[in-house]
Amino acid sequence: MDTSPTTPLVEKWSSDFRSAHNLQGPEWMRELQASAAAQFSASGLPTRKTEAWKYTPVRALETLNPSVSGPAPRARQNVIFPEPVCPAGAVADIGNGCLAGDLPDTIAGVTLLPLAKGLEAYPEKLQGMLACVDLEGAARIFTALNTAFLDQGLVVHVGENVKAGSLLIRWAFSDEQKAQLNNFRILLLLDPGAELEIIEQYESAGETAGALNVVTQIDLAEGAVLKHIRVQSESDGVVLLTSTSVEQAAGSNYCYSGFDLGGGLVRHELDSILAGTGAEAGFNGAFILDRKRHVDNHVSVEHAARGCSSTQFFRGVLGGSSRGVFNGRALISPGADESKVKQSNANLLLSTLAEMDTKPELEIYADEVEAAHGATVGQLDEAAIFYMRSRGLSDKQARRMLTSAFCHAVTDRIEDRVLAERIAGMLDAVMPDGLPATGDS
Amino acid sequence: MLEVKDLHATVGGKPILKGLSLEIADGEVHAIMGPNGAGKSTLGNVIAGREGYEVTAGEVIYRGKNLLELEPEERACEGVFLAFQYPVEIPGVNNTYFLRAALNAQRKYRGEPELDSMQFLKLVREKLQILHINDDLMHRAVNEGFSGGEKKRNEIFQMAVLEPSLAILDETDSGLDIDALRLVAEGVNRLRAEDRAIIVVTHYQRLLDHIVPDVVHVLADGKIVASGGANLALKLEEEGYAWLEQGGIVPLNVENRP
Repeated sequence: MDTSPTTPLVEKWSSDFRSAHNLQGPEWMRELQASAAAQFSASGLPTRKTEAWKYTPVRALETLNPSVSGPAPRARQNVIFPEPVCPAGAVADIGNGCLAGDLPDTIAGVTLLPLAKGLEAYPEKLQGMLACVDLEGAARIFTALNTAFLDQGLVVHVGENVKAGSLLIRWAFSDEQKAQLNNFRILLLLDPGAELEIIEQYESAGETAGALNVVTQIDLAEGAVLKHIRVQSESDGVVLLTSTSVEQAAGSNYCYSGFDLGGGLVRHELDSILAGTGAEAGFNGAFILDRKRHVDNHVSVEHAARGCSSTQFFRGVLGGSSRGVFNGRALISPGADESKVKQSNANLLLSTLAEMDTKPELEIYADEVEAAHGATVGQLDEAAIFYMRSRGLSDKQARRMLTSAFCHAVTDRIEDRVLAERIAGMLDAVMPDGLPATGDS
Repeated sequence: MLEVKDLHATVGGKPILKGLSLEIADGEVHAIMGPNGAGKSTLGNVIAGREGYEVTAGEVIYRGKNLLELEPEERACEGVFLAFQYPVEIPGVNNTYFLRAALNAQRKYRGEPELDSMQFLKLVREKLQILHINDDLMHRAVNEGFSGGEKKRNEIFQMAVLEPSLAILDETDSGLDIDALRLVAEGVNRLRAEDRAIIVVTHYQRLLDHIVPDVVHVLADGKIVASGGANLALKLEEEGYAWLEQGGIVPLNVENRP
């Protein structure tokens, strides 16, 4: 696979950009877009030599060969949104990468705006956020692409000390959009003491193909609390790329729980900077893989202030000839004394053809740091399976029960028990069968 | 109930059982004693169907069925229960949930209706009370973080709920203090029944002070070398196993059999 900057796919996107002259927005934004376009054209697609993408080839994207459209009327047609995964205070629907219908105005103290309106309402704040994103090199090409085609987006602002409840964001494709790479930007601003729960649900009707590139930027002011839950159950034809970056002021708390039950090629980049004293970040995730699916979670947390804590807790179950990637980095900067870090990634391989690449990275430049990390890749415990069978459970039942318990360690970390049970049930429903030792199943 | 005939078994290619024969009738409690490495645990594992234990000759007939042809779960569903010497920890699987799934799997096999969670809870409460077990064990993951005594008691508890016809207790007394031993023994005694046979595998006489067996067997080098009444266990306690090696005085004290 030749992935020099002259890749046909990147050339196509450059050409798409040149013809997307109807991009609108303020002068500074057009400049930002032009410079982002120059970046993605120059850097090209990531290859095996791109460290952050070493284990995640983008072949599926090349095969899909999508165009990137500007703000054309690409939305809405025939998009069927899933049943909500849980009841929520408000629902925002994004079909084929465009906001569908009017935004809800039902949460008191919360402002929900489409990107263009948001830029008018919070010009300086958002300009600063949009401009500060790193777009350099092949590793950042999708963020550069997202910025170049910046058009569709959602701005959420929660006022000071507002306990806002929950916002459900439903994402779906319709099949005629499969030749498109849809870009979307979410900007979340939480004022001091604000609280919000965001639940993202990625689920298209039928066997859809398509590509979605979502960049989320989150700004948490002092003492703000954001719970972020993401449940993805797309079909194997879907390429999903997300990049979520959080900047956290003192005493703020960000908690991510991501569940990948589907998708052909999925990559989540999750970054947080703990910039203020005592900030906390938690990244939890579970992925269930089968067939040739590929899921990559890249987590990076920077402790930049004293007394912050972060956890990373990911579990993967891999069947078929699937492939999983976990890269968890924690950087404790000089002066970030009394930091606490826990990293854990455990994986179950249910097939000899499945592959998992896991790498926790810990860099410590401060004092009095409590750090623990561990990564495992293994099979089901045969002694446990015999024990369970000796009590009457079939080999298949025993394997399912063990695999399911393994993943529920992640759903157990969700405070909302009803939602946790619901997601646990969804995980169980897509659990691949293991390797029966006796051929009983 | 159970008839073991000339059983030979190997573990990792190494012969462990070398012609073991044994017959147990309904309602009987048999103790199997013997020195380390004699094959006591192997017998339990072969009967339960553990992988890696290869039967090279002989047969095991349980209630007229060839047990060795059945999968481990089929044996369990037919009423065979092994209380493990080292009960396995199953992280994340709740004890109550596990046991209910196991009981229902067995009931389904036997064509009986499955118990819903309320019915099961009622059953659990009864059994917990009988065995003096704290119900907090039921809210925890199977054996996870249990003390040695808790694990053994959990085995007896599972036995009480599953109500097997043939129970094999593999060194259930090892690692127990006197009080725990008494509780476990009491649990076993309550399960003695006309239609149930129990095999108690143990190193020590002290368990047999509490569970008085009908027959005691001495297992050495893969064979039963002596069988007798409860008093055989006392003789072993006094004299050890050295006499076995000294040349074959085999006190077959069969008239003590009921």
